[in-house]
Amino acid sequence: MIQPRHQQGEGGFLLGEMMISTILFAAISMGLLMGFTALQRNYTATSDFALNHADQMRISDYLALDLRRSLALSAARNDTTIFIPSYYDVTGQPQTPTIDGNGGVYYGIAGSAVSVHYYLSGGTIYRQQNGGTPVALAVNVQDFVFDVTDSGKVVSTRITFNPTFTSGRASADATAATAFYNTTLLRNTRSDNQIGVY
Amino acid sequence: MRTARKSFSGSILVWTVLTIAILSILGAEILRVISIKYQSAIQTATWQEALLAAESGIDLAIVELRKSLYPAPNHAWDGWSTVPANGVVSHGLTSIPNAGMAGTPMTVEANVDAPASLINPTNGWQYYRIRTVGTMPITGPARAADNKQDTRLRRLSLRFERFTDGILTAHAITFPETPHVSRRAEVIVSPVSSFSNAIMSVGTIDLTNQNIVIDSYDSHDSNKSTNGLYDPAKQQQNGDIATDGNIIEAGNAHIYGDVATNSGTVTGAANITGAQRTDFYQEPIPVGAPNWGVVNTSVTNVTTTATITASATSGSVNSRYQLSGVSLSGQQTLTIAGNADGSPTYVEIYITGDITLTGSSQIIVQPGVSAKIYFAGNIDISGNGILNSNNQPLDIQLYGIQPATDVSKHVNLGGNGQIIAAVYAPGHDVTVNGGGTSGHVFGSVIGKTVTMTGVTNLHYDEALSGGGLINNYRIISWFEDNR
Repeated sequence: MIQPRHQQGEGGFLLGEMMISTILFAAISMGLLMGFTALQRNYTATSDFALNHADQMRISDYLALDLRRSLALSAARNDTTIFIPSYYDVTGQPQTPTIDGNGGVYYGIAGSAVSVHYYLSGGTIYRQQNGGTPVALAVNVQDFVFDVTDSGKVVSTRITFNPTFTSGRASADATAATAFYNTTLLRNTRSDNQIGVY
Repeated sequence: MRTARKSFSGSILVWTVLTIAILSILGAEILRVISIKYQSAIQTATWQEALLAAESGIDLAIVELRKSLYPAPNHAWDGWSTVPANGVVSHGLTSIPNAGMAGTPMTVEANVDAPASLINPTNGWQYYRIRTVGTMPITGPARAADNKQDTRLRRLSLRFERFTDGILTAHAITFPETPHVSRRAEVIVSPVSSFSNAIMSVGTIDLTNQNIVIDSYDSHDSNKSTNGLYDPAKQQQNGDIATDGNIIEAGNAHIYGDVATNSGTVTGAANITGAQRTDFYQEPIPVGAPNWGVVNTSVTNVTTTATITASATSGSVNSRYQLSGVSLSGQQTLTIAGNADGSPTYVEIYITGDITLTGSSQIIVQPGVSAKIYFAGNIDISGNGILNSNNQPLDIQLYGIQPATDVSKHVNLGGNGQIIAAVYAPGHDVTVNGGGTSGHVFGSVIGKTVTMTGVTNLHYDEALSGGGLINNYRIISWFEDNR
């Protein structure tokens, strides 16, 4: 004789069981969803932060490198040209300096210099050396400003990056544009180069 | 039958594993991104510190150059392989404990050479080229940055060496070498004259509130002088005064130049046209007694009218004299004679005692003569003073031999004649109290202390900055080689 299955206690769920399991499933799913969303946002924020930070360090270091060895600079908002010595010959090898007769030295041809042009275009800062191919150094930039002080011996730069953290619950500070500052002593126009007490 | 119950358990396990796997993948990805950026930040910081190491090498080289200016034994270049000379490369290697990056050692290589192309044709001064490489080990894995421009900028030596012994030679980095970053800088340093300022002192400068005018001219530049002489219409504003001490009593002097102290104060500063700074530091190099060996012995002491003859050959035996003292009075004179036609002649006189002029006595330096006078004692000049026939301060240079620490020496320059000379006596208290009837002094004054009395004008000749003893070296060109 065949026994009906429900008589063995293996029948369908009760309504209460279904409701409890549905609620539990929904809660766990909601938690997982929120967790995934939070992780995704954290990932995006971390990635954006890291990207911006790397851009900031890169543009700062490039500028500092060129400013430290600059002979002169033409500073304007979002467009600056730095002139550095013609240290390398056409093969890329260093040249021997020559005394210029005015208390200084020069590399290559007297009065020559290599121009390094920094400019902002479409939110990206480009570096162009001696009219060559521009190289993108930093993205998402709002503007950059040069401030030449101490009789042309010190240059302070301020580069403002656009906000990238866009969460609606983020504080105003978190979503404000980030300004990155850098101060560089121009080694070739330092005060102890001048005649006199320095 | 329990088949259905087992099926539920398996489903939960799968879901659990799947969830953990997804979370782990996400976590790992975040960790990976953060790790890369952390590594990038470490590499950037290391790259920055490598520049500090390279610039430390520059400082080390300049210290050795400065040491070489001191009287022997100065121990300059001790520990270096070769003393710099034309075409000769000197080399130092120093491993410096570094607290910056987890105590990793900082390595500095410094090369100093003296190319013939860096000899100043005007005065024969040798400029030096200093090339340094600063190296810092990179902690963490040998992983390149994920941005090409970072790699182009920092050029880390992860698997291949970029700089070897100051020369670009690539080689694989093998144990025990570790990934590292090197930065190289090249600077050119030029000598600095002992007469690079109108007035400089170790201690106080006192201009005694007499409305003195201090300005400058350049006897070698027709735009800044007339026939090599001071011209008020071509007045320049490089009459700088500086003290390594902390007090300048400017006395409302009209100073057409900068005024600098070593963290000190300037009083009576109402009429200073240049900058006032407090960051001056320059230790004057002491002058040692000349060690010439053989000298011209035709005159060994001057107590009455005498003549010393200069020579057409600078540095020759005939041009060098050693006197025990100069003491003149009444109408007595000491003539330093040159050629009759006024052609250039040279004389160096080392006076082991004092120089004293009283009455109407005078020291006469004839046309064409360029005189360097070293003195170990005191100077008291009154009478008719020192006559500089060339009217060029560079042609009479007075150098005070550094006295012992506990010995006080002085220089009193006065007399009726105009003072046209350059005085370098950083161990002597210098008082200038003459300048003749006009009260004009032309030249430069360096002393332990400097006091001006009875002087109305001090005109600094900028041409002095290209002559005299070398007192220091300064950087005139700086370049980072980032090939």
